[in-house]
Amino acid sequence: MSILSKMLKNKQKKRQDDNYRQKQDPLKPEDLPILRDFQENISRIKEEVGNSSDVNIREFKIGTHKGALVYVDGLASSIAIADYILETVMEAEVPEGPVDIFQFMLDKTMALGSVKTIDNWNQVYDSLFSGDTVIFLQGSNKAISGETKGWERRSITEPTTQLSIRGPKDSFTETLRTNTALIRRRIKSPNLRVDSMKIGAVSQSDIAILYIKGIANEKIVGEVKERLQRINIDSILGSGYLEQLIEDQTWTTFPTTYHSERPDVVTSHLLEGRIAIVVDGTPFVVTVPAIFIQFFQAPDDYYSRFDISTGIRLLRILAFLIAVIGPSVYIAATTFHQEMIPTTMAIAIASQRENVPFPAFVEALIMEVTFEILREAGLRLPRAVGQAVSIVGALVIGQAAVQAGFVSPVMVIVVSITAIANFSTPVFAMAIAARLVRFVLMGLATMLGFYGIMLGIMFMSIHLCSLRSFGIPYMMPLAPFNLRNQQDAFVRFPIWAMKNRPMFISKGNMQRTGENQKPGPPKQSENQSKNGEE
Amino acid sequence: MKKTLIILLVFIMSVPVLSACWNQKELTDLAFVMALGIDRGEDDLYHISFQLVNPGNVSAGQTGGGQGLPIAVYKSNGRTMTEAARNATKEVSRRLYYAHTNLVVISEDVARDRNLMLNLLDAFARDPEFRTTTELVIARDSTAEEIVTTLTILDKLPVTKVTKEIKFTEAMKGENKSVNIDEIIDGITGNGKEPIANGYRLIGMKEEASKATNLQKTTTDAFLAADGLAVFKDGALIDWIESNKSRGIIWVLDKAKSTDITLKWKGKKNALSIVPIRSKTKVSTIFKKGKPVINVKIENEGWISEANTAINLMDPKTIIKIEKLTENEIKKEVKSSVKEAQRLKCDIFGFGDIVHKANPKVWRKLKGNWNNYFADIEVNVKVNSYVRREGVRTNPFWSDINK
Amino acid sequence: MEKAKVSAYQLFVLIVMFEMGSAILLGLGARVKQDAWMAILFGLVGGILVFFIYYRLYMYYPELPLTSYLQKILGKWLGRLIGFLYIVYFIYVASRVLRDFGELLTSTIYNSTPLFVINTLMILTIIYLLHKGFEVLARVGEIYFGIVYFTAILGMLLIVFSGLIHLGNLKPILENGLKPVIKVFLRETLTFPFGEMVVFTMLLPFLNDKKKAKIVCVGGMILAGINITITTIVNITVLGVELYYRSPFPLLTTIGRIQIADFIERLDVLFMLYLVIGGFFKIAIYYYAAVAGSADIFQFKNQRKLAFPIGIIVLFSSITVASNFAEFIKEGLVIVTMYLSWPFQIIIPSFLLIIAFFRNKKKKTSPA
Repeated sequence: MSILSKMLKNKQKKRQDDNYRQKQDPLKPEDLPILRDFQENISRIKEEVGNSSDVNIREFKIGTHKGALVYVDGLASSIAIADYILETVMEAEVPEGPVDIFQFMLDKTMALGSVKTIDNWNQVYDSLFSGDTVIFLQGSNKAISGETKGWERRSITEPTTQLSIRGPKDSFTETLRTNTALIRRRIKSPNLRVDSMKIGAVSQSDIAILYIKGIANEKIVGEVKERLQRINIDSILGSGYLEQLIEDQTWTTFPTTYHSERPDVVTSHLLEGRIAIVVDGTPFVVTVPAIFIQFFQAPDDYYSRFDISTGIRLLRILAFLIAVIGPSVYIAATTFHQEMIPTTMAIAIASQRENVPFPAFVEALIMEVTFEILREAGLRLPRAVGQAVSIVGALVIGQAAVQAGFVSPVMVIVVSITAIANFSTPVFAMAIAARLVRFVLMGLATMLGFYGIMLGIMFMSIHLCSLRSFGIPYMMPLAPFNLRNQQDAFVRFPIWAMKNRPMFISKGNMQRTGENQKPGPPKQSENQSKNGEE
Repeated sequence: MKKTLIILLVFIMSVPVLSACWNQKELTDLAFVMALGIDRGEDDLYHISFQLVNPGNVSAGQTGGGQGLPIAVYKSNGRTMTEAARNATKEVSRRLYYAHTNLVVISEDVARDRNLMLNLLDAFARDPEFRTTTELVIARDSTAEEIVTTLTILDKLPVTKVTKEIKFTEAMKGENKSVNIDEIIDGITGNGKEPIANGYRLIGMKEEASKATNLQKTTTDAFLAADGLAVFKDGALIDWIESNKSRGIIWVLDKAKSTDITLKWKGKKNALSIVPIRSKTKVSTIFKKGKPVINVKIENEGWISEANTAINLMDPKTIIKIEKLTENEIKKEVKSSVKEAQRLKCDIFGFGDIVHKANPKVWRKLKGNWNNYFADIEVNVKVNSYVRREGVRTNPFWSDINK
Repeated sequence: MEKAKVSAYQLFVLIVMFEMGSAILLGLGARVKQDAWMAILFGLVGGILVFFIYYRLYMYYPELPLTSYLQKILGKWLGRLIGFLYIVYFIYVASRVLRDFGELLTSTIYNSTPLFVINTLMILTIIYLLHKGFEVLARVGEIYFGIVYFTAILGMLLIVFSGLIHLGNLKPILENGLKPVIKVFLRETLTFPFGEMVVFTMLLPFLNDKKKAKIVCVGGMILAGINITITTIVNITVLGVELYYRSPFPLLTTIGRIQIADFIERLDVLFMLYLVIGGFFKIAIYYYAAVAGSADIFQFKNQRKLAFPIGIIVLFSSITVASNFAEFIKEGLVIVTMYLSWPFQIIIPSFLLIIAFFRNKKKKTSPA
């Protein structure tokens, strides 16, 4: 009785705390207006940033008016400030007489591409910490914010995930503007909309939502925006945070949002009617909605011809299946259904397992866990040593384990094939899902053999079929089956045959390829002789 | 809150499942029974020999292939198959596993006794673990145990030798036919066909057959060979058909593929050897005055494998003559086989089934006494042979020898 | 009633998998030996005729499941009573099918595992499925339809390539005349599996395109019927008539005979894939009909709450329905067909149709 009432009391207290937090966040600056006395403004800034050494305040005089310029060293480009603001301010010729110095500054001296008028402290700090310069003028209760962003940014390099042989080799960086620019370069249409938002109570991270108006489903766009606005969290350090906060269902191992480092992938998604979310500070861009088959599409599929890409895509799906059911099938076959194995192979496996003390399930578990540890360790090692150690480690440990009588060689083979098949999934999130499911299936296989595996797969299919990503059934276009959308699911039709956009994404503007796009040899006219001479 | 309750309930319900794994058998706990030998023991008990595999000594694996023997044979007695099998567990350290049993050897004693023969078949059919596509042979002039304990050179597992051998000799010589338990049971239950089985002999010094020293010689002291066909009537073995007459039977049953046919040519014996490579037999029935008459039509094509006399093989007319000779030879063999079966009053060809399918009314009248009726039935044999090629030589060198 | 919508293709797929579910495993019409396939074809035609009764009722009340229009036609209390009987019928058949599959697994592959365990796991998975709703059922059906067909074609190819088929086994045709075939048709193949379409009277309201109902259902039945016929023919030609009669699961025996290239053999375990899927859908659909019916009659708003208790009922009745296999089969052949299938599948719906016909006639003649 007392424990229950204590639990209830704690729950109540938590709720009260949350409410309080929302009302009065001591970290959030209030929406106070800017004062006319700029000295007071300056002292307020100094007080609120607490003498942070990188906030610089430079007082100047324009004509007879006093002003001050505030910027954050490292975020704002000092060259821009010196050349485009201070120089013009210094050389400005202020007309005599009463003059609206504020308007004058705005019109005549800020030699920058983008200036804004701001009038409350929220906006002051927003601008300041985005790398803009804030200018206070004596007697004015508004301030000018000039765009002077100029911090050290990473140059555009090759992507580290989703490598492509035939496609472009640029990838997103941590700067929002660079990323949106990379997308803009590929879609030169005014219909590409970039809507911004700030998320994160403390971090105030910039988010941009991109979609192509007329192609994307308006309802989904609205849903995305609504979910983003609902987010009430301290900070968004990476797009993974966003994914976890806006996804449809948390209690699933399968990803319902897609992320990518490659601009061409994001661009193609936008053109199919999806919505991209770019987060400042991370090179991974999130696209929604996501469907199951998407995680098996690699960028190279589209740059190669249809026969090879269809073959390889089917291979990937097969590899995924192997990765999921591989060890379970081995366990089921060797412990329950030995009649399935051809006689010679059964005898060979039996002879190998003579010396192994563990039952098949424990053996498989040991090998799988060892492999996972090796893989994890390989990530941490410094790059030069890492590759060698993981390969050598796997081989040596496998060999040694076999000779020590820990595991049988067949087990090593099964686990290695499974692990390699696991890596062939293009998107890491799906590969992880496969790994977790694999362990569950292994447990089921050891209890009930093939029947257990079948039930496990049934369970997984039911789960997959019931998932939705932003309202779209996850297993489109497989279930509900749609003949027209098969053109890019398990097989890939030639580019000229992929006429329509996926039907489930957008409602309007369906056609993406014109008619008669099939290429062919040049048509011969009757006047031309056989040798092609005129 | 409700959801957690339900999930808890689900977990509680799954507890009985997690507590044990009933059908789970580790590979190392199984003894693969590769072959079964069934003999008649004292007091009319079944005396069964189990040929088990010793896995460590079979594969050329990396645990340094063993010097030991690849098989081990254990024996047990029982009134029924099941009892004998369970009695064997007192001798074997593992669970006997029948899913890979490829061969069943029945001794002639058991096969001749109707009771014993029929009583062992249901156990094979009913057990889900046992495969009814297992090969079945009858041991001639030896006990089943002797056959099951023999070691072989070419194949590590003797059972592979027997099954492969039957398969290849059926395809290459046509005097034996692969027979499995399904076919025996089918034959016993229907009225229209009686089953046959292969006979197997252990030739040579029988005591040496099961020793490792047998394998140390290039020509083993004892080895297994197929020999003749066993004819069953009414569920028991009645007689053997020897190899010289068994080819005809296999022909009628449409199982002969390739074999060799020796012909005389212009007075010289064993002058030509024809090898048919494909053969098809059609058996049909027509009714003369309400009585069935069987027509057997055999068609085959082949090539000339040997020509030991001066003969012009490039002349189409010669080839036609050769074809005619082949047809006569085959017809002779088939007719003598049919006569043999008729002598035994046993319809092993399935003529009864054919009559049944063609005219059920007539069959209803005849089926009670079919085997006797079969003994007098008229059988017409028609053979069409085609000799297509002569190998890679044209005329034999005999034409050029200085006489 | 749940607000679910399924497309015509999804309904088609469900019908085919449902009809084929357990019918394809058992030896239908074994009593007429080699003419069994004819009995099945008759059953197909008869089943389509019976279906037209359901279809006409559907046309009168397109939005209502069986339990609802029972109340409309027969009045509230009588309708509810008969609706309740239907629910009990559905639960009973669901538990019979569950028992059937459990028996199959325990007699062949899992002979030491208790039936309760196998049935429990199957029911748990189905409860999970029903918890998610009918649309998910339809979607899962679509996925598995492809897999099932692929496995079936693969199996057929393997059988053909094993050289096991002897077409002669189908002769002599109609050895004992047409009468035994008609008898078997009326007794067995009409009600199982084709009469079982009565379940779909509960599910037709979910179809989103009403006009396609006829073609989808009839097409599904024809496809399933042809599949079952082909399977029966294959079974008879491979096994021969006697063995077909003696095997409780002839398809399993046929698959057990496949032997190609020395290593493709003993495939019955892979065949289990099909049967788990087939049984799954059949049980799920009957079970769903029972849940939907109960929600309708007892006026439950949230029908997902009912899924769990009804599942437990199905599970326990599957164990208690019969104490051994022989009793189970006898019950199926004698009691179920005569006293359950005929009334529920044919007699009651015919009465309903006649009454509905007169009622609607009255409606048309009386001023609106």
